[in-house]
Amino acid sequence: MTWFVVLSAFIFCIGAAGVLTRRNPLVILLCLELMLNAGNLALLAFARGHGDGAGQVFALVVMVIAACEVVIGLGLIVAMYRHKLPIDADEMSELRG
Amino acid sequence: MPVLDIPLPIFLALPFAAGVVCLAVPARYARWVALAGAAGAFAYTLFMVADFAPGGTGLRYVTDVPWIPELGIRFSLGVDGLSLFLVTLTAFLWLAATLAVALRRGDGAFERPKLFFFHLGLAESAVLGAFMAQDLALFVAFFDLMLVPFYFLIGQWGGHERVRATTKFVIYTLLGSLLMLAAAVALGVLSTPRGGDISFALTDLAERSLPESAQIPIFLAFAAAFLVKAPAFPVHGWLPETYRATPLPVLALLSAVLSKVGVYGFLRVVLPILPDASVALQEVMLVIAVFSILYGSVLAFSQDDARLVVAYSSIAQLGFITLGIFSLDDKGAQGAVLQMVTHGLVAAALFLIIGVLAARAGGSESLARLGGIALRAPVLAALFLIVAFATLAMPGSPNFVAELLILFGAFEDKIVFGLVAAIGVVLASVYTIRFFQAAMHHRTGPAVESREIGRVDLAGVAPVVAVVLLLGVYPQLVLGLAEADTSARLHEARQLAGGASERRARPAPQVTTPGATVPGEPAVGGAAPGQGAPPPPAGPPPPPGGGAP
Amino acid sequence: MTPHAVSWAWVVLALPLAGTVGIALGWRTLGGRLAGWIGSGTIGLSFLAGLAMYTTLEEVPPPGRHLVGSAWEYVGTSGVHVDLAVLVDPLSTFMVLVVTSVSFLIHVYSVAYLDSDRGYARFFSYLNFFVFSMLLLVLAANFVVLIVGWAFVGAASYLLISFWYRRDTATRAGIKAFVINVIGDVGLVVAAFLILSQLGSLDYAAAFAAVKSVPRDDGVLIAACLLLLVGAFAKSGQLPLHTWLPDAMEGPTPVSALIHAATMVTAGVYLIARCYPLFEHAPTAAAIGAIVGTLTLLFAATVALVVTDLKRIIAYSTISQIGYMVLGVSAFAYSAGLFHLMTHAFFKALLFMGAGSVVSALGMTNESIDRMSGFRKAMPFTFATFTIGAAALAGFPLLSGFFSKDEVLSYTLHRGGLYTLLAVLGYAAALLTAFYAFRMVFRVFFGEPVEGASSLERGDLYHAEPRNPLTGEEEDTDVGFPGPEHHIAERAFSMKAPMAILALLAVVGGLMAVPGLTAEVEHFLEPSFAASEHLHEKPPVSEQLTGLAIGGVLALLGIGAAYLVYLRRPSLARSARERLSLVHRFLVNKWYFDELYDRAFVRPGRALGRFGRATVERVLVQGALVGGATGVVRAGTAFARAIQTGYLRAYALLLLAGVCALALYFLIASR
Repeated sequence: MTWFVVLSAFIFCIGAAGVLTRRNPLVILLCLELMLNAGNLALLAFARGHGDGAGQVFALVVMVIAACEVVIGLGLIVAMYRHKLPIDADEMSELRG
Repeated sequence: MPVLDIPLPIFLALPFAAGVVCLAVPARYARWVALAGAAGAFAYTLFMVADFAPGGTGLRYVTDVPWIPELGIRFSLGVDGLSLFLVTLTAFLWLAATLAVALRRGDGAFERPKLFFFHLGLAESAVLGAFMAQDLALFVAFFDLMLVPFYFLIGQWGGHERVRATTKFVIYTLLGSLLMLAAAVALGVLSTPRGGDISFALTDLAERSLPESAQIPIFLAFAAAFLVKAPAFPVHGWLPETYRATPLPVLALLSAVLSKVGVYGFLRVVLPILPDASVALQEVMLVIAVFSILYGSVLAFSQDDARLVVAYSSIAQLGFITLGIFSLDDKGAQGAVLQMVTHGLVAAALFLIIGVLAARAGGSESLARLGGIALRAPVLAALFLIVAFATLAMPGSPNFVAELLILFGAFEDKIVFGLVAAIGVVLASVYTIRFFQAAMHHRTGPAVESREIGRVDLAGVAPVVAVVLLLGVYPQLVLGLAEADTSARLHEARQLAGGASERRARPAPQVTTPGATVPGEPAVGGAAPGQGAPPPPAGPPPPPGGGAP
Repeated sequence: MTPHAVSWAWVVLALPLAGTVGIALGWRTLGGRLAGWIGSGTIGLSFLAGLAMYTTLEEVPPPGRHLVGSAWEYVGTSGVHVDLAVLVDPLSTFMVLVVTSVSFLIHVYSVAYLDSDRGYARFFSYLNFFVFSMLLLVLAANFVVLIVGWAFVGAASYLLISFWYRRDTATRAGIKAFVINVIGDVGLVVAAFLILSQLGSLDYAAAFAAVKSVPRDDGVLIAACLLLLVGAFAKSGQLPLHTWLPDAMEGPTPVSALIHAATMVTAGVYLIARCYPLFEHAPTAAAIGAIVGTLTLLFAATVALVVTDLKRIIAYSTISQIGYMVLGVSAFAYSAGLFHLMTHAFFKALLFMGAGSVVSALGMTNESIDRMSGFRKAMPFTFATFTIGAAALAGFPLLSGFFSKDEVLSYTLHRGGLYTLLAVLGYAAALLTAFYAFRMVFRVFFGEPVEGASSLERGDLYHAEPRNPLTGEEEDTDVGFPGPEHHIAERAFSMKAPMAILALLAVVGGLMAVPGLTAEVEHFLEPSFAASEHLHEKPPVSEQLTGLAIGGVLALLGIGAAYLVYLRRPSLARSARERLSLVHRFLVNKWYFDELYDRAFVRPGRALGRFGRATVERVLVQGALVGGATGVVRAGTAFARAIQTGYLRAYALLLLAGVCALALYFLIASR
């Protein structure tokens, strides 16, 4: 089981690093997906290790949420593209206080 | 009396409810609804005054239900001799101010009357709540709630740099309130006995005494909040700009009533709950009081803006109230209570009169541009004269009786402070007469059009003046009802102070009928009617009282 | 049952108050001279009620002539118990009679004098209020009511001094008088506290009864008495609180006559007499009072020699004469002091009325005796009455001032010790008094007639553009600087009658206390001073007669000197002035008291105000405290703003860091 968890952590780190470093929202979205799936992997591994089905249920929920998130994220990116906005996360810093 | 079967929460909610109704009805009727609300509240207070037994003992009309039981906070209201006249004053002045606003037509009327009256009603309820709250958390809640309507009243209907002034006012007083909130929480938590329930009820807190080292920081936090509200030197920074920006009827209430909530807090909360700290820091407070008196007076006679003259004079007058409270003497506290009422009356009247003066001087409130108004306005001049004499505490006015008692209280143990404060009485005559002369006498000012006070303004000012005259002839009305409850608040602190510096032995025993009481006993023994005499200060902390569930 | 005398006392009080309120409310409807007659009528009735009070008091056997009547509890809390109460005893009755009689005459005089003033009703309302306050003061049965009356007369005085409120000089004089009177009030308040704490009561009777239990010359008692003296001196224009009184002459002349000569300013004398048990028990304080009284009477007499404003000369003479009274009552010669108070009220009111008539004849343009002369033929009645008043003031033999002043001095002399010196100084000032009194007479009524006088001889009353004599500013006749018409005693019966009555009283008033023959005042007042230790320390008749002889000679000498200087050899006055120019300037500037106070109090006060406004307010209050408070808030918000970069990755990093921190915390905590 340890190896599953290690793999999961590894994937999570890749995803996190991607979110932090990349500027293209599409890639950021992909990396987010990686992080979520790393979480799923860990959930499944623990569920199997403890012999408890609840983890699998959680993984299913996470997948649903990930799907929703991708829909909204992609929708936003498409909208930006339509408005001829630069597809660059750093350019969109209007929240700055 | 059937009216008094109506519980206090309904009385408390009445002005607020009227405010809500104001929002719902068409703008034309809003003023009448607001007037009805204010008049109803005032009528209720009149019944209370009539119902109150002389020497009023303890709380009456108590409402006490759990509010947030997890935190031991109760919705606990009540009126006693100490708060009776403050509640009455509040309702009375609100009625006068509402009248002054509601009767205005045409140019003088306020815009958006529905919202205005809503805020006015909310403010009245909040102030009444603060005066009647018997639970510290509830008191803090009302204390801060007062700020909300005034924020809007000043920010939306104000003049001269209103946004800046409002921001300053709110930030400054909120900082004080935050300190008070922290102190209140600390007080509740620290005073909870091991294994007991937390309680914020004032009576519980007064029984569960804290060590002096814990009292002092809590005292300082409370004092900061109350002194900012009062305001006292040197934390009056918000005062000039706020006073200049606030519309006059609102300012009358701000200066007359809101300022009293702070000093009232000293009597209601600080002295009974933190007696050791009050005694330890007595001289600090007296220094602040005396400085406020002198500083306020000196600045009042170097101002040109009529509002600021009254503003700084308020600092001085509230200094007198603080002096009376922290003289830790019955006479001083009695005087302070009376002074709260009388200063409320004259301050409100003065601001309403400033409005009348400004209307005759082309809107200017600068003393240099006023002048000669008495010429064709003898009634206005007479009213103003009476108010001015009362402001400077001329003997014969109720303010004099108040200051007399305050000074007597201060002389009793702290004669130096009393004597310095007495200079303030002389200074008061200088700035008040200067203000009166600048407005009413001399040659007519450049833009002054002298005409008599109108009926609308008269409706606001004349009742206040009438009450001033009434109390001038019979100040005992307030003193008699407030006596027992005020001295009960003071009891513990006074005993502590008495332990430190034994009351000066009176060389002259009473010549008049030494019978009745035992002459050798220190006469204070009889002064604790209802309250069980608390243990001597050196005694061990009392066992958990088991707060009333 | 309330004794009749007390009921009459309430009536005495109620009438002027009713007059005040009635005239004030009816200001619009009372036309013509109605307000004046109503005002005079209430005071006249009040005088009659005072007489009734006197007769009913006489029916009470002497030891019981101390009747207290209480209306209701005024203050009753935490050890302070004060009723709204009146005290009827011979002393208060005496004062009531003096006050109401003189007030009534002055009211009647004013009916004509102020006739064309726009503020006619206002004037009589104030004047009635003044009488009410003065009666409250003398009838008070405890210190608090005394202070109330005390402050009310101060307020009435203020209102009447600045009655012509468009003149800057009048309002300035008003504020000065008011503030100095408030200083006196504060003195009284502190004294009242000391009396309460030391003697256990604020009621006269209880406090005075308790005084015996305090050691003689006790420190606190002396302090209390000195503070009472502060109150008395402020009200009575004694050193060093006298500066307001000469300025108070800005008020209409009847006001000067009533308040600033006959009644209010003698309140200090009344107070000392009323509190005699305290002063007798604290002789040090009494001695200080006597010394200050003597210094004042000398000081004011010297200033009166050189001042040129007619009304101010009389004002300084008032200060000086009150000095005699203070000396008398402080030397425990109560009936002598009060007797002088009464005669002084008569002749000083008379002098002011005469001065008012003369000033009217000059069209109110100026009050300087440099511009007056030769009125003798034009105003024979005024001349006659004024001369009687001046002669009584000078102590001309057999007139009232002759007996009363010399009674004070011979009692003082009799006490010996320090008081011998004081009495000698008093005699010296008596010489000066005679001189300046007749300086006025000779300068105003003799010599070449000025324009006002000569036109009056032809039958025309002089008219001129009214100007403020002090500033030269044109008067605003709208707020009745005495209005367009002037009235002189010769032509107005309601001015003539009171002056004639007062002249009569000034002549015969002294006969009430001729040494060895009559002692009416003393006998009447005796029950009030029954407890006095010095009641029977009277100088023998022979000593009194010697005193009278000395006084008479001094008066004649003074009058003779004035005759010599002002009528026979006018050049003498000029040369004396030139030779003694330094002294002259010192006196003309009134010993520089005004300048001293200006430098010592007024200017520092203003500077302090400026300093407070400019520096403390800006630096400490707005800078340090407001700045500090807003600074903290601003720093907090600046920090919160700084972390809102708007960069997505920054937020993500924060999020991650937070999660990591939480995870770490749980990892460590779970150990």
